[in-house]
Amino acid sequence: MISLLFYLLVGVGLLVFLWLLARRKGAPVEGCGRQFVEARQALRTLQLGLLPENLIERLFDREDFRYAMAASPANIGELFLQERKRISLMWVRRVRCEIRNLMQFHLGYSRLHAKLSLLTEIRLALDFGLLLLACRALRILLYMRGPHGAGAVVVVLTAAAGRVCAASEKSLAFLNPPALESFRRSSAGNGAAI
Amino acid sequence: MLSLLLWPAGLLLEFALLARSVQTKTFTKYIYFYAYISCVFVVSVGLFIGHSNLEFYEAWYWPTQFATLAIGFGVVLEVVRQALAAYPGAERFAWRASCAVFAVTFCYVEWHVASRTEWSTVAATVELERDLRVIEALVLATVLAIVFYYRIEIGKNVTGMIVGFGAYVGVSLTTLALRSFLGPRFNAAWGDLQTASYFFALIVWTVALWSYSPNPAPPTTGRGNGGYDALVRGTRTQLESVRSNLRGVAGS
Repeated sequence: MISLLFYLLVGVGLLVFLWLLARRKGAPVEGCGRQFVEARQALRTLQLGLLPENLIERLFDREDFRYAMAASPANIGELFLQERKRISLMWVRRVRCEIRNLMQFHLGYSRLHAKLSLLTEIRLALDFGLLLLACRALRILLYMRGPHGAGAVVVVLTAAAGRVCAASEKSLAFLNPPALESFRRSSAGNGAAI
Repeated sequence: MLSLLLWPAGLLLEFALLARSVQTKTFTKYIYFYAYISCVFVVSVGLFIGHSNLEFYEAWYWPTQFATLAIGFGVVLEVVRQALAAYPGAERFAWRASCAVFAVTFCYVEWHVASRTEWSTVAATVELERDLRVIEALVLATVLAIVFYYRIEIGKNVTGMIVGFGAYVGVSLTTLALRSFLGPRFNAAWGDLQTASYFFALIVWTVALWSYSPNPAPPTTGRGNGGYDALVRGTRTQLESVRSNLRGVAGS
């Protein structure tokens, strides 16, 4: 009976894979080139759009909530809290999405390397999977405790994401053409933007 | 009944597929695949001509079935070769994973066969076919998982090969497993399902391989051997920094 289940599982599993293959929309033909650009864009989004200190402070500031509660009726305060919770959840979702983009970058780049290591790739896949899972867990935490109940979490996550950005910046350093950099350095300080 | 109807239709499709491959010169591009189709075509024509002679049919059915089954591995090889050829990293991953899958499944099957107390030729033959199909199915599934994971774009020809052969293998495996479990009362349905699934595969192959459609050209950026270690180091650093901070998050 167990072997029957095994064979049925393999057979049906393969048919499901084929169904997914038939349904699959075209993967990006631009491949690596496009993924480099996307990774770069993900970094920019994280650094400039999602992780600036003043944005985080504004988003999770208790003072705003206290002021809203003190200066307006209770239902306004509740509405304020609901909105802040919605925005904070959206923020975590976006951070997770950009981390996924960085993961896609790694895959897009590594698949072309003849020296690719099977074990390393499996370990990295597990690591990325766990990290994304952890992000999801954080989202649940925010959902349950609210934006002001997870302030410490937000600070730590922001710092972590910032460090990821710094490390990714090094991985993507080759995207900055050396000739352009030297030209940029040698141009006048108040010269035209390149 | 269904098998008798689909048999000559299948022969026509096989002939069309082979004729078209010569016309479009794709025969040499997918050599293992067309070698399989040629072999199946020759065997099917021979069995079709001699099927009125029961003695001849019974004498030749299983040996030719095994020959086509063994050559069927050529299609799997063709899929790995064609789908991942432009991605050395993913191809290397696929070969190693496929070898591991093959070794583990083969050992499991050997152990399973060795532990049998009763032995009958017919049952052993059906089980051998089923076990070989398991290996084919697992190797195909591994390749597909790699194609999905690395988001590799494959052309119409190779997609057709995978879908057609995969559907045939998947249905064969499922029906062979059910046949072993349900016994002779499932024989009629088993024969029809196998023939129908092979006919479906032939239709898919004929449509997908009607004209030559190579895989999209892979990107050239980042190709080479030197950067992989640096890439892995960079990725590891990112992961480590995030993980250490998430530990802090969990503790807060």
